Amino acid sequence: MTPQRSFSISRHLNKLRWLSLSLVFAMLIALPCLHVYQTYVAAHAYDLIAPSEKQFYDVMEALTSPLTNDPATDLDAVKGNTWSGNFWGLKLSDPLAAVGQAAAGMTLYWPFLLTALIPIVVTAFFGRIFCGWICPANFLYELNSNLAAWLQLIGLKTGMRRFDRRIKYVVLAVGLGLSILSGSIMVAAIYPPAIIGRELYYAIAQGGFGVGMVFFAATLLFDFFVSRRGFCRYLCPGGALYSLLGRYRLVRIQRQVQTCNDCQKCNAVCEFELDPWHDGFGQECTNCAACIAICPTDALTFNLRLVDLAPQGPGHLGRQYRREHEHLDRDVDEAAA
Amino acid sequence: MRRRSLLRRIAGVTALLIGSTLPYGFISLLAPNQAWPRRNHLRPPGALPNDDAFVSACIGCGLCGEVCPPRCIKFHSRDGGEGGEGGEGGGMGRTEINTPYIDPSVRACSLCGKCMEVCPTAALSPTLRKKVAMGIAQIDRTACYPWVDRGVCGACVTICPLGADAISFDFANIYRPVVGKGCVGCGLCVEICPHPSKPIWILPILTQTDEA
Repeated sequence: MTPQRSFSISRHLNKLRWLSLSLVFAMLIALPCLHVYQTYVAAHAYDLIAPSEKQFYDVMEALTSPLTNDPATDLDAVKGNTWSGNFWGLKLSDPLAAVGQAAAGMTLYWPFLLTALIPIVVTAFFGRIFCGWICPANFLYELNSNLAAWLQLIGLKTGMRRFDRRIKYVVLAVGLGLSILSGSIMVAAIYPPAIIGRELYYAIAQGGFGVGMVFFAATLLFDFFVSRRGFCRYLCPGGALYSLLGRYRLVRIQRQVQTCNDCQKCNAVCEFELDPWHDGFGQECTNCAACIAICPTDALTFNLRLVDLAPQGPGHLGRQYRREHEHLDRDVDEAAA
Repeated sequence: MRRRSLLRRIAGVTALLIGSTLPYGFISLLAPNQAWPRRNHLRPPGALPNDDAFVSACIGCGLCGEVCPPRCIKFHSRDGGEGGEGGEGGGMGRTEINTPYIDPSVRACSLCGKCMEVCPTAALSPTLRKKVAMGIAQIDRTACYPWVDRGVCGACVTICPLGADAISFDFANIYRPVVGKGCVGCGLCVEICPHPSKPIWILPILTQTDEA
């Protein structure tokens, strides 16, 4: 037992990640609310709206008045969602939107494709960081899988079926093929973060959810009853694209075999059912840092490397390694004696 | 034996391909296309003139709706859009789900131009107010109050943001509106029209070819 572990930021990255996920989700709820408030302001409608809308107006006014002079224009600074957004003039889009649009129109429209450049570069360095840290659907899927885990603790059966991870690459390819054939961006219709972004907007500002929410609810049920985190692991076309872009990511989690004690908690906690214990991270890893947070001996760390380490064998603090190297211990003891 | 394993592999790949299209089919099933376009359904200002090009350029992010001050831009959120018309232009399985439209009989466009500026793709491009081509207003002269001598009105002429080029009176002091060449189809006249059956409406300018 180590007496007192020194503070390391990487052990707390998982909390930071939950903070990031919650902030993105809160933003997707706040932006449509601000938009509705803006439309009231633009129409000078305070005296015409219903009492409940007046309450909403007052709350929004109280929240925004310290930050803005003219809500009708100042609040335009941040608009949109994770599918495509506008942050103080910086336009950012999901790489899947760029690829899907290029496929649907069979044209390359550079002003739009360039908006996906920053996400692509970030993915090339950090891997599927969008999936783990930003994706608003991942926020709900992860809560859903936590709920399933809790219910399993009290004895209910939830789906744990496994499929082939490569299916999602086929889903991506088929989606792009269908986009070319149909001339409409098919991948956008089944991509959960895009669905969540726009459906929250529809629900708040357009008077109700659309059918995308039905699809999303179906994927939640699929995750719950058939395969835990099944959509992200096996079906998501965006996850497939991010995996491919992040295949040779520079920042990746690595196991330090010297401090690993083979407890396998990392394998148990991994949302994507990867194999950190055998150094198997691969292109699917979202750098979510859940395994780092749970590791009791701090054997998992972020490192700069283009490929994973080859399997390093059992951890040096583990039982198996010590049994195999007992004679070494004895030698050391004898040398000390 | 080898042939059997080959057949099995082909069957497996086929099943995988069919399985991978299921999510897309599910969405098309949930949001079937409408058989024909609704009256008064327009694309936002600055939209690509060819509606097929518009659908393939629009990524469905909803930004145009999110900046619209009158909140007039709606989305095909529960249906697959109006894919019935044209027919040949759209490819197989074409869906307009999540693409924007404006129904001016509910809420009309004020031609502020914010949607064109915010659109990340080429679907909406910044266009001068007078060059916008959403449609052109049509007046039913057998129903419009002044045209059937049921009183004076002139609401449509008063509200028009484009002035006398777009809509004006037939003769001075006779309040019969006549649509001119300057009409861009914003639809404010439709929104303001007091007649319950809306004898003024917008005929959308949509082409299925790349000309125009």
